[in-house]
Amino acid sequence: MFKSIFPTLGRFRLFIQIAMLLLTVYGSNVVGFYMAEKISNALPALSCAFDQQNGSYCVLIPTQHQLHHRVGEALVKAQQFTFQMVLPLLFTLLTFFTFFVVLSKVFCGWICPLGTIQELINKLGRRLNLPLRRFEDGSVSKVRPVKWLVLIVLVLALPLLAGLGVTPHATGDAYCQVCPSRLATTLLTANTEQLAIRTGSTLDFVFGAIANTLFGFILVAALAVRQPFCRICPMLSFNATFQRLSPMRLVKKQHDKCDKCGICAKACPMDIHEIAREHGSKAFHEDCTLCGRCVEFCPDDDVIQMKWGPIALFSSSREYYKRRMKGEMPDGTIKAAAVSRKPESGVENA
Amino acid sequence: MQRPINLILSVTLMLACASGVADGRPAGNPASAAAGQGKWQGREWTKYPLLTPMMGRGGDRAVAKLAVKNLQPAELEVFAAEGPVDRLRRQIPVTPEGTQIEAVTPKIGNYHWVSAREEAEGKVTVASTTYFFGNPGAAPTALLLKPKYELEIIPQPLPREHGAYRESDKWKFLLRFNGQPLANKELKLETEFGTKTAFTSDAQGMVTVLFPLDFKPADPAKAHDHHMGPRKGKFVLAAEHDEGGTHYLTAFNYAYSPDATTGKNLLAGAGFGVFGMLLAAPLLRRKKANNKNSVKGA
Repeated sequence: MFKSIFPTLGRFRLFIQIAMLLLTVYGSNVVGFYMAEKISNALPALSCAFDQQNGSYCVLIPTQHQLHHRVGEALVKAQQFTFQMVLPLLFTLLTFFTFFVVLSKVFCGWICPLGTIQELINKLGRRLNLPLRRFEDGSVSKVRPVKWLVLIVLVLALPLLAGLGVTPHATGDAYCQVCPSRLATTLLTANTEQLAIRTGSTLDFVFGAIANTLFGFILVAALAVRQPFCRICPMLSFNATFQRLSPMRLVKKQHDKCDKCGICAKACPMDIHEIAREHGSKAFHEDCTLCGRCVEFCPDDDVIQMKWGPIALFSSSREYYKRRMKGEMPDGTIKAAAVSRKPESGVENA
Repeated sequence: MQRPINLILSVTLMLACASGVADGRPAGNPASAAAGQGKWQGREWTKYPLLTPMMGRGGDRAVAKLAVKNLQPAELEVFAAEGPVDRLRRQIPVTPEGTQIEAVTPKIGNYHWVSAREEAEGKVTVASTTYFFGNPGAAPTALLLKPKYELEIIPQPLPREHGAYRESDKWKFLLRFNGQPLANKELKLETEFGTKTAFTSDAQGMVTVLFPLDFKPADPAKAHDHHMGPRKGKFVLAAEHDEGGTHYLTAFNYAYSPDATTGKNLLAGAGFGVFGMLLAAPLLRRKKANNKNSVKGA
């Protein structure tokens, strides 16, 4: 029954993604209106609090808020940073880890609404027979540090500096100011408020201009590039910081054919070339979103697995690979379209 | 790249994110922001009873001070959504310099319902408002619906933590008497900027209130500092009802904010969005066929 509805992991993931998109964008109609009724206010995915119909809040919002209003201001006032203050924080940390330890970066590959939107746009690009651009080994390594820079500067440093009074209050939620998920999720609820740019101060205007330009860029770029924003997303680096603490992970065994094959790297929407040549813990790269495509498109039995602790949730297999290839190429090209496009050569370097 | 950064960030992120989970919301009541923002402060803009937050809490997020206007009650009643049973409904003596209320516990409880009741010469008058403390706590759904007095105006719902009543928004309120919906009853709205209007409840006692566009132009120097919170204005909703020879008057006051588009430019926003799309457009062009990876004939 389950296999007839979801013949592939990809189909199952798409179902989860659509369900999570509905939940994170419109979920208040199900889970409740107030913050206390949300699934969490520390979800490891870009579920935006500016969306008045959402079902949960992104963890980056309280992170910035606390660095701005609590940590920064407390440091300014030279108040004591006591155990009494830390203790509730440790308790609430468990809230975040309840989610993260169980699912790890599945939040990126299966749940994040912006990730799903980009993936759907890219599927449209494949349907429209548009070129697919990939980051080759050299170029992708230049892009990867950006997500750490965004996390450190926009999510951590600027809110803290705003709390210390060093930078303007407008930088207190610097990342939210430029986050494309804020625009995407609010527009999905037919709310254009976030699309409008504040004109009161130069800084607000600059933030708005950057956010909207980035949003427009991503909408179109996603037609040709898989997951363009995910590559610089601070949530990816945030989650990457903790990914080794979760039992949920990608595992790859050493195999003689891997050097010559490389299909798993072609299947990876994040262009992680290391997946083809590395094994062991190195194969679970900081950019991995645990989407599982490399496992689906690995043509050898049990070489790549998605595991939760000792339990193999999904393993590569020759038989599954053959079935999967009937409908879709590793790079996401739909098979029917691929016939006329010579799909193996249909990929352009970014 | 990953491991050294992980090492540096782990502790910072854990603490920051934990504190965010603990209390990722702004403290205070929207109405408290209103208390000091209007030129209209201190001016008598309504005859209805009001409970208004006073500025300055000394940095204590679990304490607030309320002023009572147009009513002389002996005490305020504070209702909490959760907490120790003996603190779910508390009576606080009113003091002339402002009545201090506290969260149900220092670390728990966000929304609190605050009321003052006065009964004299066949007339019962109740003033109500809500106060939001910056603590984790239960949603106020049950707190709002819990019967407290005879005639009641109940927000359905209250704006959530990062939300607000705003100009040109429509919000629903339930009007009821002794727990039963009051149909076809007039609910009056008055704002500190001079609007006086009325709405009528439907068969289920629900009233849809349209907040008027009546904010005065802001001081340009302060108009756009949204990070200090949006501008606030005060409003009061009031209803009256006669039953058994007694006249009942109830008023609910809170704060509202300017229209969502105030100080924003949608055209500029859309323009930059299109600009971003144009920047990405070259990605959709096929490369020349001399690239070994390009598509022939495309």
